[in-house]
Amino acid sequence: MIKWIKIALRNILKNKRRSFVTLIAIAIGFAAVSLFQGYIHNTYEGLRKSAVRGEGLGHLTIYKQGWLEKGKIDPDKYMFSQEELKRISDLVGEDEDVILATPQINISGLVSNGRTSTIFLANGVIPRDDKTIKGAWAAFRRPVKGEGLSDKKPYGVEMGEDLASHLDLKPGGYGVIMATTLDGQMNALDIEVAGTYDTGSSATNDKYMRVPFGFAQSLYDTEKADRVVVLLNDWNKTEATRERLEDTLSGAGIACKIKTWNELSLFYLKVRGMFDMIFMFIFFIVFIIVIMSVVNTMGMAVLERTREIGTLRALGLKRRGVSLLFAVEGAMLGFLGTVFGIVLNVIVWAVIRAVGPTYIPPGYSSPVPLIVNLVPQSMFFLMLFLILLSLMAAILPARRAARQNVVDALGHV
Amino acid sequence: MELIKMEEIKKDYFLGKTVVHALRGVDLIIDKGEFVAIWGPSGSGKTTLLNLIGTIDEASSGRLFIKGEEVKKLSDDRRTEFRNRSIGFIFQGFNLIPVLSALENVMLPLEIMGTPHFNVRETALKRLDEVGLSDFVEHLPDKLSGGQRQRVAIARALVTNPNLVIADEPTANLDSETSHKIIELMRGLNENEKTTFIFSTHDPRLLDQVERLVRLEDGRILNGGNEK
Ligand SMILES: Nc1ncnc2c1ncn2[C@@H]1O[C@H](COP(=O)(O)OP(=O)(O)OP(=O)(O)O)[C@@H](O)[C@H]1O
Ligand SMILES: [Mg+2]
Repeated sequence: MIKWIKIALRNILKNKRRSFVTLIAIAIGFAAVSLFQGYIHNTYEGLRKSAVRGEGLGHLTIYKQGWLEKGKIDPDKYMFSQEELKRISDLVGEDEDVILATPQINISGLVSNGRTSTIFLANGVIPRDDKTIKGAWAAFRRPVKGEGLSDKKPYGVEMGEDLASHLDLKPGGYGVIMATTLDGQMNALDIEVAGTYDTGSSATNDKYMRVPFGFAQSLYDTEKADRVVVLLNDWNKTEATRERLEDTLSGAGIACKIKTWNELSLFYLKVRGMFDMIFMFIFFIVFIIVIMSVVNTMGMAVLERTREIGTLRALGLKRRGVSLLFAVEGAMLGFLGTVFGIVLNVIVWAVIRAVGPTYIPPGYSSPVPLIVNLVPQSMFFLMLFLILLSLMAAILPARRAARQNVVDALGHV
Repeated sequence: MELIKMEEIKKDYFLGKTVVHALRGVDLIIDKGEFVAIWGPSGSGKTTLLNLIGTIDEASSGRLFIKGEEVKKLSDDRRTEFRNRSIGFIFQGFNLIPVLSALENVMLPLEIMGTPHFNVRETALKRLDEVGLSDFVEHLPDKLSGGQRQRVAIARALVTNPNLVIADEPTANLDSETSHKIIELMRGLNENEKTTFIFSTHDPRLLDQVERLVRLEDGRILNGGNEK
């Protein structure tokens, strides 16, 4: 084997110009795919944190069976009662990977400053638990202006920045929210704006509010909750824990439906769908370029070395051996090309880090930094894949060469 | 003892609609240890005959036995293995692998065979020494003269201790002095090791050095396969 690698390497070095062009093609292809992979890796990571922490979805959300389909029509029937909430909280809390299980309720209605009113959507959360879910994320990504939600201020709410500015409210200002209770009565409660925040998307910035859980319950005049949000110690365990909790809860006779953060974050799904699509596109182009340049290079090599192939066959190299010889050379091209690709990738990565460019993605209200991750594992697999691809692309012309008649090959000039 | 036995060998080439009868029924027996020259004018079928004996080509009809084995019955892989072990080739154009040094070229047949490595280098060095190239082992082919290249090729042909060495016009690209030396070298190896040599030539000046002369003309062997 070593001798074949030796021969392959020397032949690659012998045709410097041709090999160089091929290697550059592979290297650029590798870097393009790998950099984009690094970019979406970073984006997915950001989106995940933003969904789990920022949107406050936690890793898992537990609904009562039927809530997702019929909850809008008959909310009271498909919400968890206080006693159910207690049992769920106990059962889920026992799981070793669960950090927190907290009830939430979503409400909607009108919010008014006394003169004008507008619709709102609000998430009722236990302020203390909400802090746990947000963790460090809140502080450095989208800070709340003002004090924010607090267990000590049962009527203090957080408002989307655009909503607050429409209503001309600032932290410390007062207003009223109105909604129908679950029984269909009109209800109104005073609020104090405890903070304003940027939801990150202009579509929600003028509607969203976050209110204390108990406050939301009193607006709807209920003791129930429509969901229990679960935070895990590791997002990688999301799927496994979902299955485990489903078993535990159904075993305890609680009919429920558990959704994961990525199923619930519409934004994540959309962005992911789009990026995966673009990735496939880039990948496909690189795939074609690599195959074509290796087939071309190896095709020329095979043609030039026809007499050499004839000689090797006469000396007793089997057809398989001839194929192997060129396959090794193809794989070698793939290997060297990806090594250059890695170098190129790291250089571009370092430049991006040093320059720190920013851009405003669609639907965002402020610029975000362009960050590209170095993902060794993905790079490794991409490398393996391109080497294999080059190897296969070399086998095509090599097999043709191996099959030809020895005398004809020897007579070739 | 019979090494090669040919019975009624014919070989036709098809060029479009015309048929070229390169060999028109050849019967030939070559014994172990012989030193044979195939001699004849251009187009008489020397190369065709040697290619058949070298098992790199197949006859249109007739039977060819080498060491008692009928070549036609071997699969391509078996025949290739057989070539590797039992036949050495010396080509008119030397056909050394350009990216390999003289030593690496000589080692090649053994490496194809898969001999454990410690043997390979020593055996190859010994062969290079025999052909007088001890000082050129690291040279690449294009840094060697024609005569030196053909010596490397001879060392390569002999490195597996084959029963048979086939050389198609091994001296055609060499000047006459070098040609004599090359034939001399082959002759010496034939005498020392009893390796069978078959080579073709159309240079009559080389024929003094052989003990058996097979004369080919127009695809047929003259005088029962021995001119001398
Ligand atoms: N591949 C081929 N296709 C068609 N005809 C061929 C082929 N190879 C050889 N021939 C023909 O077969 C005949 C014998 O050719 P061969 O090469 O065996 O002769 P030779 O004695 O080796 O000649 P030379 O001394 O020129 O090398 C010639 O007429 C030649 O034209
Ligand atoms: Mg000839």
